[in-house]
Parts: sequence; C-alpha cells; structure tokens
Amino acid sequence: MAERYDAIVIGGGHNGLVNAAYLARSGLKVLVLERRPILGGATLTEEIVPGYRFSVFSYVVSLLRPEIIRELELPKHGLEILPLDGTITPLEDDYLWRVNDHGKTVRELRRWSLNDAEAYEEYGPLMAEMGRFIKPILAIPPPDPGKLSPFEWLPLTPLAKQFRDLPRRLQTTFIQLMTMSAADFLDQWFVTEPLKATMSASGIIGTFQGPRSPGTAYVLLHHYMGEIDGAFRAWGVPRGGTGAIAYAIADAALAAGVTIRTEAPVARVRTDGTRATGVVLASGEEIAADVVMSSLDSRQTFIHLLDDGVLEPGFRDEVLRYKYRGSSGKVNLALDGLPELACKPGTGEWLRGAISISPSLDYIEHAYDDAKYGRPSRRPYVDIIIPTLVDPTMAPPGKHVMSCFVQYAPYHLADGAVWDDAAREAFGQNVIDTLEERFPNIRQLIVGAQFVTPKDIEDITGLTEGNIFQGELSLEQLFFNRPVPGWSRYRTPVANLWMCGSATHPGGGIMGAPGRIAALEYLKEKRKGRRAA
Amino acid sequence: MARRIDAVVVGAGHNGLVTAALLAKAHKHVVVLERAERAGGILRGSEPATGFRAPGLIHTVGRLRSSVVKELRLDRFGFGVIAPDVRLHAPMPDGSAVTFWGDPARTAEELRARSAHDADAFGGFDAKIRAIASFLAYVQVATPPDPASPSLADAIMGLKLGKAFRDLGARTGREAIRSLPMAVADLVQEVFEEEAVRGPLATRGVLYTAMGAWATGTAQVFLNDSAGTDGGAAGTAVFARGGTDALADALEAAATSLGVEIRTGAEVVSIRTKGPRVVGVGIADGTEIDAPIVASGADPKRTLRLLDPVAVGPTTLWRGENLRQPGAMARVNFALGGVPAFAGGDEERLRGRIVLAPSIDAVERAMDAVKYGHVSEEPVLEATIPSLTDPSLAPEGKHVMSVVFQAAPRHLREGSWSTERDRVGDLAVKALEACAPGFGELVEAREVITPEDMEERDGLTGGDVQHAEPALDQFFAWRPMLGEARYRFLFDGLYLCGSGAHPGGGITGGPGANAARRILKDGAG
Repeated sequence: MAERYDAIVIGGGHNGLVNAAYLARSGLKVLVLERRPILGGATLTEEIVPGYRFSVFSYVVSLLRPEIIRELELPKHGLEILPLDGTITPLEDDYLWRVNDHGKTVRELRRWSLNDAEAYEEYGPLMAEMGRFIKPILAIPPPDPGKLSPFEWLPLTPLAKQFRDLPRRLQTTFIQLMTMSAADFLDQWFVTEPLKATMSASGIIGTFQGPRSPGTAYVLLHHYMGEIDGAFRAWGVPRGGTGAIAYAIADAALAAGVTIRTEAPVARVRTDGTRATGVVLASGEEIAADVVMSSLDSRQTFIHLLDDGVLEPGFRDEVLRYKYRGSSGKVNLALDGLPELACKPGTGEWLRGAISISPSLDYIEHAYDDAKYGRPSRRPYVDIIIPTLVDPTMAPPGKHVMSCFVQYAPYHLADGAVWDDAAREAFGQNVIDTLEERFPNIRQLIVGAQFVTPKDIEDITGLTEGNIFQGELSLEQLFFNRPVPGWSRYRTPVANLWMCGSATHPGGGIMGAPGRIAALEYLKEKRKGRRAA
Repeated sequence: MARRIDAVVVGAGHNGLVTAALLAKAHKHVVVLERAERAGGILRGSEPATGFRAPGLIHTVGRLRSSVVKELRLDRFGFGVIAPDVRLHAPMPDGSAVTFWGDPARTAEELRARSAHDADAFGGFDAKIRAIASFLAYVQVATPPDPASPSLADAIMGLKLGKAFRDLGARTGREAIRSLPMAVADLVQEVFEEEAVRGPLATRGVLYTAMGAWATGTAQVFLNDSAGTDGGAAGTAVFARGGTDALADALEAAATSLGVEIRTGAEVVSIRTKGPRVVGVGIADGTEIDAPIVASGADPKRTLRLLDPVAVGPTTLWRGENLRQPGAMARVNFALGGVPAFAGGDEERLRGRIVLAPSIDAVERAMDAVKYGHVSEEPVLEATIPSLTDPSLAPEGKHVMSVVFQAAPRHLREGSWSTERDRVGDLAVKALEACAPGFGELVEAREVITPEDMEERDGLTGGDVQHAEPALDQFFAWRPMLGEARYRFLFDGLYLCGSGAHPGGGITGGPGANAARRILKDGAG
C-alpha cells in the first residue's frame, strides 16, 4: 500500500488549504486531495474567454481572517488585496453613490434625505461597534446546547459579560440584528429606498430569503465584519482574481510541507466501521491516514463519501434535512471597453467600486418572490464589479471583465423545469437585459460571456444545490447547529473524520476561519490524547 | 372619600381583567378603567344579524391558561368549554379534504389514503410538537430574565427552565432549539410530502401575524400556540359555551366578585408620572385618579403614547415607536341559512377550525400582500361555525360563521378601508364558494371588521390583535423590547399586562397572570 499520512484533507478550496497549512505547520504530514485540475474550489480564477480571466464564483474578499493572513504570511506567498472603493446604486435617472470617504457619502445622502444623512452618522459607528462585539464569536468553537453542561458554555462567558457591559441601546441592536429582517432593521433609521435596498442586499447574498424575511439583519452584520488591514467594512479584490487567494494559501501550505494532488477525486472515506482510516480515490487507489478532514459540505461528506450503515439513521436524517437551496448565480462578461451608466455618463471612479442594481426594497422583494415560487428573478438584484479597473492583469490592455453576482436563481425550479442549456442561456440573457437598463451600451461591448447557474456551481465545485455557504445561513443553521445539530465542533460521529469547510461554524464566505479553527481543535485533541496515552 | 386605590388597570380586556382579579384576590383595591361601554375587549362579539351571535376577534379559547380558570373559578361564573373531536378540517379546491382530529392516530389513519409517508410521519411529528410545547409551557409561565443584568431570581428561573429543558432529553432539546427559529414552512415541509397536509398545518404559524410561511420564527408561533394545551400538531379547537362573550362575562363577574371596581365609558387619556414613578392616570372627562400602581392592558405603543414624551425621553420613544405592530387580519362574520357544503365535510368535520390553505405557496402568496400593502386576492382563511356545537348562538336551523381573513394589512398603499371593506367580504365569499359550492346563497347577512376598525374601535395600535408582532425580535426576554420585558414598563409602578408582554397574544390570560404575579412580588400598594 502507498504512503501513509497523518492527515488527509479532502478538497483544495480555501478552507481545505488553510486547514492543511495549519496542520502541517505543527509538524503533521498532510495530503490535500482536489478533484479538479485547479485548486480553489469556489475561490477560483479561470480563463474562460481567451485573454480574460474571471473570478468564476466568489469575486470579492473582505472576510478573510486577518490572523490567517498573518500567521500563514500570505502576502509573502503572493497575496495582494486591492481595495475597492464605494458602492453606486444606479436608478433610471439618478443614483446613490456611497464611498469610503464618510463626509462625501453624507453629502450625497443629504441630496436624498436630511434625516438619512444624519442617521447614517449614527448607523455606521453603531454597526462597526456591533461588528467588534460579535467578532470574537467567529474565533471560538460553538457549544452544544444539547449537552447542557455548564462547561459547554464557558467559552461564551466572557461574551455574556461583554454583552451585559454594553449600553442598552447596543444590546437592543444586537438582538435586533440576530432576529429582525434587514428591511425592518433599516426602516428604523432610513427612508431612502435605494439606500435601504442596497444595504439590505448584503443581508440576502447567498441566502434564500428576501430583505423582508426575519433573520436577514444578521447577515448585514456578517458583512460589516469584513476587515482589510484592520479597516472595518472594507472590500477588495485579490490581484489575479479570487483564485490568487487559493494559490497564496496553497503556496504557504506547500512551504509548510503539505503534499497537494489535483485531479485526485475522493470516492469514499474508508472506515473500519466506526473510525475513518483513510480514503479511496476514484481511481481505486487507497491512502491511509490518522485523520480525514473534509472541507466538503455535510451532504457530500456523509451521504456521498461514507458507506451505507456507517452512520446511525437518526444522524443521516439530520444530514439529509439540512437546507442548501442555492439561490444565486454569476454572469461573467468579457468587455471590449468600459460600459457607461445611463444615469451617470462617463467612466469615472464610481465604476471602481461595487455597482448595485437594487433600486428599492420592493424591487429586491419582488425578485425574491419569483424565486420563492421556483423561477429565476425576472429583474434580479445584481452586484457588479469591474475588477480590471483595479487589476488590469485580468484582461488584455484596454479591455475589461465584469463580474455580476445575480440573485435570485433558485436551484429548484417550479413545474418540473431543470437548469439545462436553454434555461442557462435564458438566465444569462435576462441578466444582460437587466444590465442594459442601466448600461445602455453593454451589449455592443460584450465579446464573451459565462453564465453560471446554481446547478453549474454544484456541478463544478461540488457545493450541494449550489449553495455558496455550504448550507443556508438561516438562524436555525447557525452556530451550534452547523453543520448538523449536536456536531458543531468539527468532529463527526465517525471517529477521525472531521469537518473543516464553510459548512461548519462560523460559516461561509472567503473567511478561512472554519479551516483554521478545525485544525486548531484537532491539534488540541491530539495533544490531549498524547498526554492521556 | 372612598378607600384608597392600590392599583389602576387600563383596559378591561381579558388580560386586564385577569390582572385586576388576581390583584384583588391578594386583597388589593383595584379599579379597572375601560373606554368602551362594556368590559371584555376583543372577547366581545357582535350580531351580524338578529339572533346570530358571532365571537370576538379571536374565535377559539383553547389557549386560555388552566391555572387562570382555576384561580378565578371561572366555571362558577358561567364559563364552560366545548371541545369537539375534530380540530381542523381543510377542504381543497379539488374537492378533496384533509381532517385533523384530536386523536393523532385517527388523523394518521385518514391520511393514509392520500400518502402513506405522511400517515407514518404524523404520529412522530405530533409527539415532537407536544414535547417541545411542553417545554414552552414552562417558558410561557416564566417572567423573562433581564439578559442585561441577571439576578438571583433569574438564576433560579433559569435553573427551573433548565430542568424542564433537560427533561426533554438531548435529542429533543436540540430539536427544540433548532425548531424555534425555523420557518413554519420548513418545519412541516421536512416532515410531510403532501401540500394538502403542509398548507393547513403551516397556517397556524402565520395566523394573526403579518408574516409568511417562509418567515424565520413562524415555527415558534406555531409551537407556542400548542404550548400548555392539548393542541399537538393539529392545534386546539375549543369554544366558549355561549360564545366568547360568555368568557368576557365570566371574567367580569369573577373580578367583580373579588372586589374589583370596573368603570366603563372611562377612557384613560394619560398615565401620569412623577420622576421615575407612576402616580396615576387621567381620564377623558378630566378627572384624575391617583394610584401607586398602574397596569396597562393596552398595547405597548398605545401605553407609550399615554405617557409624557418628555418623561419617556427621546431614545426610548424612538425605540417604542419602532415596535412592530403590523395588523394584517380582517374578520368576517356570516349569518348563514344552513350548513355550508364544504368539500369532504360532513357536519362532524366542520365543528372545529376550517382552514382554507391548500399549500405552503398559497399561505405565502396570501401573506405576500402585506409587503406590498394590499388585500390578498387569494386569502388564507380560518373559519369556525360555533353554532354547530352550540345552537344557542343562532336561530334554529341556522348558523353563524366567523372567518379570520389574511392578509388584510392595516395600512393600504392604495385606496382606503372604507372601500376595501366590502371587497374583503366579497373575496371571503369567493374563497369559501370555491370550497363550499353554494356558500353565497346561504349568506343572510355578513359583517366585515377591518384592521382599521380594530384600531379605532378596539384601540389596537396598527390593528394588531397580538399587540406586537410575535416575531423573534419581539420575543420572551425582549417582548415588547429589551429591558422592558419583566412587566414593569419604563416607570416604577407602571406595568404592562396585555398581549404586548410575554408570553404574547391570544386568549391566554398569560400576560395578565404573569404581570399580576410580578406586581405582587414587587410589593404592590
């Protein structure tokens, strides 16, 4: 039999690679197995149209944990994040343009509503404060409420104290953020529709909820926790596309001694009935290891990779009822030149940030209504960036790529429809129609396009039902319920099989935290085991 | 001068009466001030036609807390219940129907013809709901802790709740924690495969709310509705003998017999404070009543608006005005010449709740109308025909039917309630006609109560019969808002004893009883 490893990591996405790097840095012999010829998973740059490189799926970065950047020395391994500035919401004949320059944004808001300009001064600092309060939660493994031992809750004690020390207004805000809809939450402050719509949009990205669905306010916060170089609420694109993040992490992993094999799809996790002992590749090759770390989602891990009978039926049922329901797609465009907004002609700096097609709460809610009843939004919410404006290497000189995140595109279609080629084409053309309403010259500029449906996301990356967070971020699937109630601490009912992907706490986005915390938890247990032995 | 008043209760609704009676039972001198000419609040029904007695806004009383009935000896004052075997009958547009019985085995047996899978799943689902609901029954009785400054009493309450929770066992405990924040659509969809089963069940998670079936937290509404009752998955179908008015009469009589003084036609226009303390109330006729304790059965926003805004302060005022009280329900009462011919419904099956909601999508679509501020063209209805089990409510051979119509948002983007009133009636008839052909011809009279009526006639801010949306952001320790969830409301001596306080709306008497306990503990008078 072939070589033996201390740890095998299934999946070469960003979490798998982070996990491998941390394990290897503490001296373990680690093997990463990636199904595709390229690394990155959903953190992927691919040249789909010759000369144009697309960040195929995820397209911006802000949640990547600073301690990971620091500890893995990612800048040394080639990671460079180029900041994006501002968000413009184009309407038919007007726009709302917010930038990182606070004074400028407030002046712009005054054009819309004096009340909102004033409220914005309060809102920003409040959310930043909430972000600082909630951030520690991202770094600790969640307790298991089913166990009811007070020790389970110990890691939360400092948080509970911190909560008590918060002024009442912040406590209220925290509870509202955890429970309210983004729209209700924002209604308390603002009246300007494009402002509320654009802010609430960050609360619905990747979820199967609308801005008026309770629980979406939480995600507002999730996105306020982004950090670049210590600056809150900063977004950026990695030079070379999001795939560059995966390659920087891979480089760090290789430097730590990790072995990475691509085109090595895992067919099965091998067990002796109760413990994982290694993996079997699709080729039939068997590789043994002390521990198997799966960065895949729980359905892939437990249903597809484990033999029948290994799991007790109750657990299997829990896995099967876990919700995925991918709701988003991507349209990536190769452009001959820069498109112009009808409401703000020219090609100024407003195109350098996010361009958000979210004119009103009703607009997004209507988009959600379509999805609820099983069809792609007739007029979707689209979050656009033109990465070539900050990173010209992504396209030939003078040319551009445009990345459009599109919501909603439900994985499950009504009336027996499926995501076939015709459905994909209709989806893409409808997005371009939507863009055309804001960018009248867009069609003439398109030299190539890639339409990515949730089914494509599933087929290419293996993410179940195309859910970009490896499981819906709904309230009952967060924290101690991720990825399966009772199994929130990276372990699984199969000894030596661990989870380390976005499916686990603290969840999705290019954050890397699950990969890191899972590695640290495993190393801690290993040390404990050694002491006991 | 008369005896010194220990406490004034604002509003003689069911919770106000419960608080007043329990305080009086503890030898407090209590005066209840009611704006209307009669006590009873939303329990007071109407007469859609002579001889037809329709119930109040909420037409069943299965959630009334048993300890309240016992402590106030309501049975001695004429309160009795009628609990038919059938809980819920759901006619479908295709002419079939699903019936849920008090006996889950009977329900499962009947489901078998439609889906063996759902028949097999029903018993387990019912047991799960009962288990979680049994824990929630403890929660409903508890005074919510203050998460900001937990006290020793909170710790003891926490231990009690902890024990109730532990008694569920690890598996059900986890299931409870997972279920509460869920959408009711998910709660039923993950268990049942037939829309005809899912839709009617899911309705209970959105009834009397402004939320759709896919809204996070509607599972909690569903589960709380079953807490402390024999509801289980199907929910209760319990009627007050003689109609909800009989319950109002019983509460009134019980309170009076304990020495409570009820003054009707006395509208409180101000709650007076001095520094951090409440000192009394002002009445519309200009008189003032001094009392060290004021318990308000009015909704939180209305209560807030009775206070001096300067004393309340801008931040609290802002928080209070942002409370969500979005009424989205209209009531329609029909005087009928006979029993409607509902699909698959012999008379026995029509004695409980009749729910017109053939699928989750139907529920969701009906509630979508709230978001866009118009009346649902295809509403979800919950109807009862109380005269089937209580013939005293209608002339011989005739029947009275009450209908909960959703969604009918209080605030319309276009038009007004003066024009929409009739449309709600027409839409209700149309929907009923679809499931009970010939329904329209049975109608001898009809009465529509709009959410605007509920606001103006009953004083329910926003037309919200629950006093505050029972969503997760206005739940338990932060109902109606964080820091004000322990019945004491903003000022020393001022208490909230209505549905805006924990455990929330419905004919439960829960907030009233909890508030009374709190007041006595704080050392009233």
